Amino acid sequence: MNQRMSIVRLQQVDKDYHLGKVIVPALRQIDLDIAAGEFTVIAGPSGSGKTTLLNLIGCVDIATQGTVSVDGHDTAKLTERELTRLRLERLGFIFQSFNLVGVLDAFQNVEFPLLLQRKLGKAERRERVMDLLKAVGIDSHAHHRPNELSGGQRQRVAIARALVTQPRIVLADEPTANLDSATGNAIVDLMEKLNSQGTTFLFSTHDPRVVGRAGRVVRMVDGRIVLPGAETAASLSTQA
Amino acid sequence: MILIHIALRNLLSHKVKSSIVGGLLVFGTLLVVLGQSLLGSLDRSMSTSIVNSMSGHIQVYSKDAKDPLALFGGMGGGNEIGHLSDFPKIRKTIEALPGVAAVVPMGIDQAVVFGGNILDVQLEQLRAAEKAKDRRRILTLRAHVRRIVGMLENELKNLKGFTDESRLTEEMRQGIRDLPGVVADAFWDSFDADPLGHLEVLENKIAKLAIGEDMFFLRYIGTDTERFRKVFDRFEMVDGMPIPPGQRGFLFNKLTYEEQVKHKTARRLDKMKDRMAEGFAIAKDEELQQAIKLNRSQYKEITYQLDDDAAALVRAAVQKELGSTEAALEKLVDAFMNMDDSNFARRYKVFYDVVAPKLRLYAVRVGDTMTINGMTQSGYSTSVNVKVYGTFRFRSLDRSALAGSANITDLMTYRDLFGFMTADKRSEIEQLQKDSGIKQVTREDAEADLFGGAAGEEVTDTTGVTPTDAPAAATPASLAATAPPADNARTFAASLQQRVYSQDDIDSGIVRNAAIMLKPGENERDLMQRIKDLNDREKLGLQVVDWRTASGIVGQFVGVIYAVLATSILVIFIVALVIMNNSMVMATMERTREIGTMRAIGAQRSEILKMFVVEALVMAVVFGSAGCAIAGAIVTWLGQVGIVARNDFMIFLFAGPRLHPFLSLTHIVVAFVVVFLVTLISTLYPALLATRITPLAAMQDAE
Repeated sequence: MNQRMSIVRLQQVDKDYHLGKVIVPALRQIDLDIAAGEFTVIAGPSGSGKTTLLNLIGCVDIATQGTVSVDGHDTAKLTERELTRLRLERLGFIFQSFNLVGVLDAFQNVEFPLLLQRKLGKAERRERVMDLLKAVGIDSHAHHRPNELSGGQRQRVAIARALVTQPRIVLADEPTANLDSATGNAIVDLMEKLNSQGTTFLFSTHDPRVVGRAGRVVRMVDGRIVLPGAETAASLSTQA
Repeated sequence: MILIHIALRNLLSHKVKSSIVGGLLVFGTLLVVLGQSLLGSLDRSMSTSIVNSMSGHIQVYSKDAKDPLALFGGMGGGNEIGHLSDFPKIRKTIEALPGVAAVVPMGIDQAVVFGGNILDVQLEQLRAAEKAKDRRRILTLRAHVRRIVGMLENELKNLKGFTDESRLTEEMRQGIRDLPGVVADAFWDSFDADPLGHLEVLENKIAKLAIGEDMFFLRYIGTDTERFRKVFDRFEMVDGMPIPPGQRGFLFNKLTYEEQVKHKTARRLDKMKDRMAEGFAIAKDEELQQAIKLNRSQYKEITYQLDDDAAALVRAAVQKELGSTEAALEKLVDAFMNMDDSNFARRYKVFYDVVAPKLRLYAVRVGDTMTINGMTQSGYSTSVNVKVYGTFRFRSLDRSALAGSANITDLMTYRDLFGFMTADKRSEIEQLQKDSGIKQVTREDAEADLFGGAAGEEVTDTTGVTPTDAPAAATPASLAATAPPADNARTFAASLQQRVYSQDDIDSGIVRNAAIMLKPGENERDLMQRIKDLNDREKLGLQVVDWRTASGIVGQFVGVIYAVLATSILVIFIVALVIMNNSMVMATMERTREIGTMRAIGAQRSEILKMFVVEALVMAVVFGSAGCAIAGAIVTWLGQVGIVARNDFMIFLFAGPRLHPFLSLTHIVVAFVVVFLVTLISTLYPALLATRITPLAAMQDAE
């Protein structure tokens, strides 16, 4: 177990979905700590609860029971406005389908969270956005719109957007699912590199090759964590 | 900035939504700008028509009026608008206000004029010929009169079976009994022995039997003719001369003169010519065919007027035109009037070159004295002889029936016709009483007077004098100088024609309403308020109305169109609103993931709302500007070529044959306000939907 300060802490978390009168349990008895600087994978088959877990950590959904705390804030106690602010200031999101704003170019997509923050001036914004685009290797396409970019390029833009506010943790939901394996590997390489520079990553996947590269694997089955924490990627991948 | 950028990009990327919403907004804006511009121009042109022809900017009339003032006639038709009790004071007080150019006294009423029948006309000519002892002319006219009398007898015989004799007046029955004697040779053989006696018989007993007497209704404005002429710049003389300052007289509106007073056949030919100039053809147009039918069936309008000399001339010309040897004039005229597209222009010319000079082309001619028959306010009929000085028109409204129905007479004649006691009227009555030895008595004294009581010789006026209108001042020295001769009331009436009234005489009688003309550039509303204040302060007893209200239903026409236009625009925008709302809801649904993503990466609900509002504003600006630009181009183009007035009413509304619309900044501003409101309202619901999209929507395709 990592001894560093935890950024995310889940204690006895349950999450139910209501489908009419039927209650579908999505998460059960989740206890999880994510420490700063980790490169954690949540692995598991479809329907195992990976995305639900990410949603709770990403403050876009609220636990039915238990405590989810992000960067020291109990998310159940925050207003919607405060949750939004928390997402903006402390979290970065990378989506399976990249979710770029189609009418904005790469630069504007990356700049968008900074505009919402209203903290930096135009020059500073520009500098930071271009640095990041360079870091993810897409600076030459800064003024291309998403439909002019390949899947891998889009995901790089999405990664840059997730990092531009210098979040405490980046959450990525199946970031390689829509990419071919070479591009997927390149994206994981990039995230590893950024992790090595200090960014905490938590991402869900059911791609064994990606799982194999994680620093830590949280395996989920039927809404429960079956192999918490310490197992190595190698042992996991052989079990999988 | 980024929101505007997103909005603009969204406009381009959601092409279906943008084109639907954009199309509606452009159309709506176009409609608002065009509608306003047209109505604004219409309002201005109408104001030109009405204000400068007869209403002035503001009208005042008695506060005790039972009916509203309606210069061009109203729905109710009531004319009980009372009268102004002290016009000289009103005029002086209001004209003292800065900004007021003039106050013109008025009274509007209707009357009937009998144009005289054809027999009257011929007898008048015969009388003149007898007086001049023009033997040849006498014989020609006698033959003509004899022919008319013969035809009259035939007509009456034919009519006998159809007409209920009990409905004829005793005079008429007597005339019918006398007719055979007049037709008989003996009557004509003895004509030379006593021409005047024979003429008396024909004039007094037979002429009234002649049917088809011209009778026309005249609407007239009694006014200070000199002031009227100077103040209303649309007024201009066509024929004759203006009524000499201070004198009695009548001016026909040229259109009334043409429509009512002109010979019917000639008028129909004129109208046919105008209509054919507009591109209609006799072969295809029912209206033209109907006119031809009337001209043919009413050939007597022409033949009755032609004595032997004239008939010979006309016969020759028509025979030549028709290439016919037919001798019967009736048949020739009928065939002549049966015109078609190929011969109309030629025959029109023949008619005016040969036939018209032989006709009495106008029932009343400029220079004639005509008798106007009116109805007094108390319901008695009254008649006044007045000289026709000429015809006038309201410039560029020549063809408008509304403007063309107003004729003009002096205030004295107006007051006589309306039954107000004027100094002249009083002298005339006194003269008649003196001549006939009649004395007038009050109801209270009647019994004593009849049965030899002690009633004095005092003559009491009970003719409905309005006390305020019996001013001693209104008996000027000039009146004494031209005092009525003792023996003849007709001479007295004739002398009135020559009398020159002072400004005091004109002003200090009854006036029913007054037009107030403002100086150029004055604000109508401001001055109206000042006049109202003045009215309250000075107790002038007035109602103050603007020209729109004063002109009755016509003046409110623009208001009515405004209401119709506003309603249609409202309906169009409601439809647009629904369509826009729907297409925007659809577009919002399509953008669910995008909005969810924005929310996930930290956009507050308020920012999503702001994004939608900015998008709406951008749409309003883009499409509103496009709409304004197109409308501007259309208005500019229309302003140059003008909209053609298709009928008389439109000519009046347009103040001329074409309306030249103009664009003002207000029109654009109003259009933008409307478009902004509509866009914002239609965006409201989709925007609310958008703010309800949760960040979870960003993950919708995951897992």
